[in-house]
Order: sequence, then structure tokens, then C-alpha cells
Amino acid sequence: MNRALNPGSAPALLGRRKLLGLGLGAGAAMALAACGGSSTAAPGGHSAGAGVLKWGWALPTSWDPVFSSAGWDVHALSLVYAGLTKLDPHGAAVPALASGWTYDSAGTRVTFTLRPNLTFSDGTALDAAAVKKSLDRGRTDPKSLVAPQLTSVKAISAPAANTVVIDLTHPDYQIPNLLAGKTGMIVNPAEFGANAASLAARPAGAGPFTLTSYTQNEKAVLRRNPGYWDAASVKLGGFELYPLPDASTVVAALQSGQYNVAQIPGSQVAAAQAAGLEVQVIPSMVVATLDVDSARAPFTDPRVVQALKFAIDREALLKTEAFGHGEVTYQPFPKGYAGYDPGSDGLFAYDPAKAKALLAQAGHAGGLDITLTTSAAAGVPEQIQAQLKQVGINAKIEVIPQAQFTQIIYIQHSRQVAVDQFAGRDSAVQAFQVLFGQQGLMNPGRATPPELTAALDKVTRTPLDSPDYPTVLQAATATAVRTMPNVFLYTVPRILARAKGVSPLPETTVVQRFEGVTVA
Amino acid sequence: MRTLRRTLTLPAARAALAVLAVVAVLAVFGGLIAPQDPLAQDTTRVLQGPSGAHLLGTDYLGRDVLSRLLAGTGRSVLGAVESVGAAMVLGVVPGLASLWLGRAFEWAALRVVDALMTLPFTLFAIAAVGVFGNGLNQAMLALGVLLAPLFFRVSRAAAVGLRQAQYVEAAELMGASRGRILRTHIAAKVLPTIAVTTAHALATALLTVASLTFLGVGVQPPAPTWGGMLAADLGYLAQQPWAPVLPGVLIMITVGALNLLADAIRDSGAAGAPTRATGRRPWRRTREAAGTAAVPQPRERRSDEAVAA
Repeated sequence: MNRALNPGSAPALLGRRKLLGLGLGAGAAMALAACGGSSTAAPGGHSAGAGVLKWGWALPTSWDPVFSSAGWDVHALSLVYAGLTKLDPHGAAVPALASGWTYDSAGTRVTFTLRPNLTFSDGTALDAAAVKKSLDRGRTDPKSLVAPQLTSVKAISAPAANTVVIDLTHPDYQIPNLLAGKTGMIVNPAEFGANAASLAARPAGAGPFTLTSYTQNEKAVLRRNPGYWDAASVKLGGFELYPLPDASTVVAALQSGQYNVAQIPGSQVAAAQAAGLEVQVIPSMVVATLDVDSARAPFTDPRVVQALKFAIDREALLKTEAFGHGEVTYQPFPKGYAGYDPGSDGLFAYDPAKAKALLAQAGHAGGLDITLTTSAAAGVPEQIQAQLKQVGINAKIEVIPQAQFTQIIYIQHSRQVAVDQFAGRDSAVQAFQVLFGQQGLMNPGRATPPELTAALDKVTRTPLDSPDYPTVLQAATATAVRTMPNVFLYTVPRILARAKGVSPLPETTVVQRFEGVTVA
Repeated sequence: MRTLRRTLTLPAARAALAVLAVVAVLAVFGGLIAPQDPLAQDTTRVLQGPSGAHLLGTDYLGRDVLSRLLAGTGRSVLGAVESVGAAMVLGVVPGLASLWLGRAFEWAALRVVDALMTLPFTLFAIAAVGVFGNGLNQAMLALGVLLAPLFFRVSRAAAVGLRQAQYVEAAELMGASRGRILRTHIAAKVLPTIAVTTAHALATALLTVASLTFLGVGVQPPAPTWGGMLAADLGYLAQQPWAPVLPGVLIMITVGALNLLADAIRDSGAAGAPTRATGRRPWRRTREAAGTAAVPQPRERRSDEAVAA
């Protein structure tokens, strides 16, 4: 019907206007209510619960360290689990559940001495037998994702209630470091014996906190564990862990008190500071990388791999993606770490002419088509695509769901090049295994040159306190970055913004820890 | 043609058509009239405000925002057109056929349509992309399948009364073929109703395209789309709080114009207005059928969409 011609339609028109008016009125009322709410809320939301740290970070793929499939999970799992050792701010192993350890003269046996009267968070005794059962589970469970890290372990025994002996197949001085991470987190045998599957959502450890409630993809609530071996250092009454906040809302969420500590991208640092939040840029072991499959053409030709390395302008990536927070790198370790090789500085500095020449040598002077796989196309992948185009590489960007990234990239190894990040590992050798080992998650080509294997073996056999250790480790790094296809781009610092009432956070490179942190 | 003439007498319709004409020109020639290469990056000039060199500033990779908006128009609009085109083919033909091809076909078609109407747009499109690959065509054809019931219901409701009209019965008695009756006596009366539905469906589809590209579904990066630009701009609100307004306003104006046009066509009496040929009774039946089956559907689906997005 034509309203304009039919007077009968007038009431309908009026009704619509009334409805619009009502809608506007209701909207305005809601907006005012929202403004009122935000203005009366205490900054940082401290009124919600004193001593509770609300961390916008990430929830783990599993609360069971043996089946957790992301290196990133170590941060969350460290809240509820403890290991025999932990890492100091510089990445060196220091005592945790174990008060100390000793290697035998051959380096094939390491003996840990446990602290007295240790308990799991449910009150069960944490003795050498429990440690043995937990480590054996990680080593022998057919589906264990930490088993590849423990291949040098021949046997674990518990000759006394406070003594754990680990026998090794060959000298391996990385064990204390290795056990500081997910690989060494001690799980309560009482839980995995009866109902192992429940550990994915109900962790059973001896860490500084105990999980009290968990909603997948939404929130984890934890309370302080008074039985933790270092409970005196834990000043927080509770902890709430949330998924990674959205870049567009993270500052507002910190201001409103939804979080009082949150990971923010480089683009939000200035906004967070302007909003009165404290920002800590903590150097970390995380490095942005390209995982390159050297078993797939055209990367079977090392000259094409080299061309790829020279074709990328890392400075430009760092500037646009991280707003300059971080450093350009050509190797997996950050400056200051024992394995950082100064000789690899500027190794593949941006040189498009050289990249073109290498491609021409490899028979691709007329151009080359590749597929760049990522879980988020905006930003770095787009920029790399444009940079590669400058040297004649036509990169098609393939976007795969984040939920399938682990399966497709790390397990199936079915893509040419993947845009990725390496989260770092507790032990340098473990990092090498993940990046370059034949079973390494980030080595899709499944090939390791013999010279790298030999260099790594030397690292394993060198005591960490030996004066030769940095030299040996750096030599392995130098070999790896020259022989392996992984493309290292820039370091990714941990940028944490916090509300005013939260005390400074410990600046630990590998795992974020919260000892001594207080929330006013 | 009468409907078109009536519609054009309405100022709202003229305004809507003017806007849509501009959008159509941009959709076809947007890439050509873009002042700069929409994909050209300049990392020395990222997130800059409007200037002589970049009238609407630059994005997070130093690309010209105006050029990207212009170049992105085609992809955003043509996706919606593609899905609605598919929906028309899949909806109108079976909708009319269900009245003439016997009870068994009618019953089966209605059940299929009922089943399709239970599926949410965005989730179905994402699932289709997951199965058939990440492309706008896949997503839009999937959306077309879900929009088809709307056209089925509307065309069937508009034609159901006409089937009993005396002039149609007379044509049948005089030996006119089924195809001729559909072409000459039914189609002309049903088309205006379908025009209203098409305008509404285009608006719905455009919003769905924007939602999908906002989520990064169905678009091959770094190709610009309105939804994709909106999503990327949200990450840099601290630097350019005004940036998301640009693609947002374009989406809003285009969807608004389509809805305005649909209202205008309906107000012009197109959607089954009584004509000399149909008479009063068939019109009443059509309104009843459309009121119960067809008209509420687009509104209901749009509200679903807002929740899903």
C-alpha cells in the first residue's frame, strides 16, 4: 500500500516514529547508565577483590602439561604447576621443588634432592615417588607431547623419599633447564592414575595457585596455594586468567577494571600510557619467524631459501607490526642470552638485489609462485607479500583458522611457508630441537644437517657452568642459522600494561612469574 | 514499468536510487578511479591523517585509504549481488513451480525451504568456506542458498492467488501453455513483489558480506573490502579513532539506500497492489499469504544476523 496516498497508513507512520523515539530514549538512557557506571567504578577495579590479579593473556590449550600443544601455554601452566627447577630472570635453572642437584662426573646421572614436606595443592604428599611417576608419564605416555624432549632419559628412580635420580643415555647437562618448563611440571599421580582426561580442565599440581573454576575460552579463576614451596613469595590472594584481549578494547578494559594486567600490542603502548597505565616492555625469548618447508619445491633449493631470507625487510616489519618494540634478528635467541651469536648479526640484512640474483641462479629469474600460510592476514603477511613481490616472488596468502594452525602447520607439516612465532624454550637444546630437530614442530622439512646435529651434541655434553658453554652454544646457533631454512624476523617483547595499584612485574625472559607482585 | 514510474515519483526512492547509482559506478569503476594503487604500501607513512597526497589518510601499512575504499566497493557490492542473484534463481523458480508441478513437489519444496530457514547466515557461510575453500564466491553462493527460501515464499505467496484468477483460468481453458501463462500472466504481477524482496535481500546480503569480510572470511588478502577495512582499522583506534567511520558510513549508506528503495517500491503499491487485471479478491489472498509466510522473514533473519556477527 502507498502510505503517501492512503490516509489509513498515518497511524502506522506515527507508530514507527513513536517507536523510533522510544528507541532513542532507551538508547540514551543506556548510554547514560553506562557512563555513570564507568565513572563510579574504582580505577583498576580493585573493589572487585583486593589482591586478585586479573591477567588478560591467554588460556592454555590444555591444563595437562603432557598434552598441552602450544609453547605459549607454559605461562598459564606455571601458575598451577611447579617443577624440580625454575628459571631465573636470565634463563638459568635455579632450585624449585628440588633444593639442589648434582651431576656425576660422566654427566650421565643427575641426582635431585627434594625440599622437605612438599605437598600437592590437594594436600597429597609430593615425594620422590610422585616425581618419578609424573616424569615417567611424560616420557612414556604414547600420546605425550613432551616425550621427544626426554629421549636422553634412560631411567628415573626414587631411591629415597627426597631423592630423584635421572639416568641418561648420554651426557646431557640441559636437564635442569629442561625440567623448569612444561616438560618437568610435576602432576599429581593420584589424579592421572584414575582420571587422566580430567587434567585437561582440572590441573593437579603443586604450583603457586590452584584452579577453582574454568570456563573454556572465557576465564580461569585461581586462588593462592598456601602449600606452595615458596608460598611466602606469593603475595596475591587470587588470580584470574583471561584470553588475549582485543587490541581495540584492551586499554579500555584495563581502565574499567576488567583486567588489571594485560598483554597489549605495540600499537597500544602510547594509548595505555596516555590512559595512566603502567607499561612494562619485558625482553622475552619470543621471535617472529617464517617456518619454511625445505622438502617442498621451490625451497628444496637452498638458494631460494637464501633469497627469501634476503628479500625480507625486517626493519619495516618491526616498525609497522610492533611499533618498534623489539629488535631485528637473524637467529632464535635474543641479545644477552648465552646462545646469542654476535657473528650472525646482519647475516641476511635486507638486500633485494641479492635475493633477485639468487633466484636467477636457481632458475627463477622469471618469477616464482609460493603460498604464505597464516592465521591472520592483516599486517605482517601482507607486508611480507609486498616485499617478496619486489624480488619477483608472488606470494598468495592462505588464511587458516587459528584452531587448526597446530594441526596443519606443526603436525601435518603440509604448507610451504607459515608465518609464525617461536615462543622460546627453557633449555637451549630444547629450542634447537623444536626449531631444527628432525621431529621439531617448526622444522617442516624434517631434515637436520649432520654438522648441526654434531654441534648440538657438543652443547648437550657441555656443562652449563663450563666457561666453554657460551662458545659451544653460539657455534651451534651460527651453524643452525646458516644451514636451516627457518627465517627469523624480529624479537617480540612481552608488553604488559598494568593498573596503578599493581606492583611492577618480575622481568623474566622465558616464563612470566608473579612472585612478590601485589595488587592494592 | 508502471511500478517503476510510480516509485520514481517518490522523493525517497529518487534519493535511494541516486545513492545506489553512485555505489554501482564505484563498484564497477572504483578501482580505475582510485587516485593511487590501493595495494601500494609505504611504511614510511603509516597511519597518517588526511593530506593533499592522501585525502583520507593512510592505513597501518601506508596504503591510501580513499583508494582502498573505492577499490573495495566492487568486491563488497558484487558479493551481495551474487548471493541475491543465486537466491532469486533458487527461490523464484521453485516458488512458482510449486504451484503448478503437483502436490508432491509442493510438499517436498516447502519442507526443504522450512529446513533451510532454520540455518543462520553467517555460520552457514563460514562452514561453506571451510568446506569449499576461502573465497567470496563460495560464501556468497552459500548465502544465496539461505536467502532462496525468502524468494520462494514471496513469489509463491504472490502467485498463489493469481493462479485462481479468472483471466488465468480463461487462458488455461483457451489452451495457453503453462509456460505462456507463467510468462505473460503471472510473472508481470509477481515481479514487483520480488523487486521489494530483492532490495531488502540485497541490504541483508551486503551486511552479511561486510560481516564475513570483517571476520576475514571469503576474501583473499590484501584485497580491500569495506568489512575488512573496518576490522583492520579497529586495531588502530588509538592512532586513528575516526578511521572505522569511513567504511562504516559507506556500509550504512548503501544498506540504508537499499532499504529505502524497498520501502518506496512497496509504498508505490508495487507489492501486489490491486490492478484491473487481478481484481480485489486475489489481492487480499496475496496479502494474507505474504503476511504470514514471507514478510516477517527478512526482519527475523536480520536480527539473527546481528547476534551472530
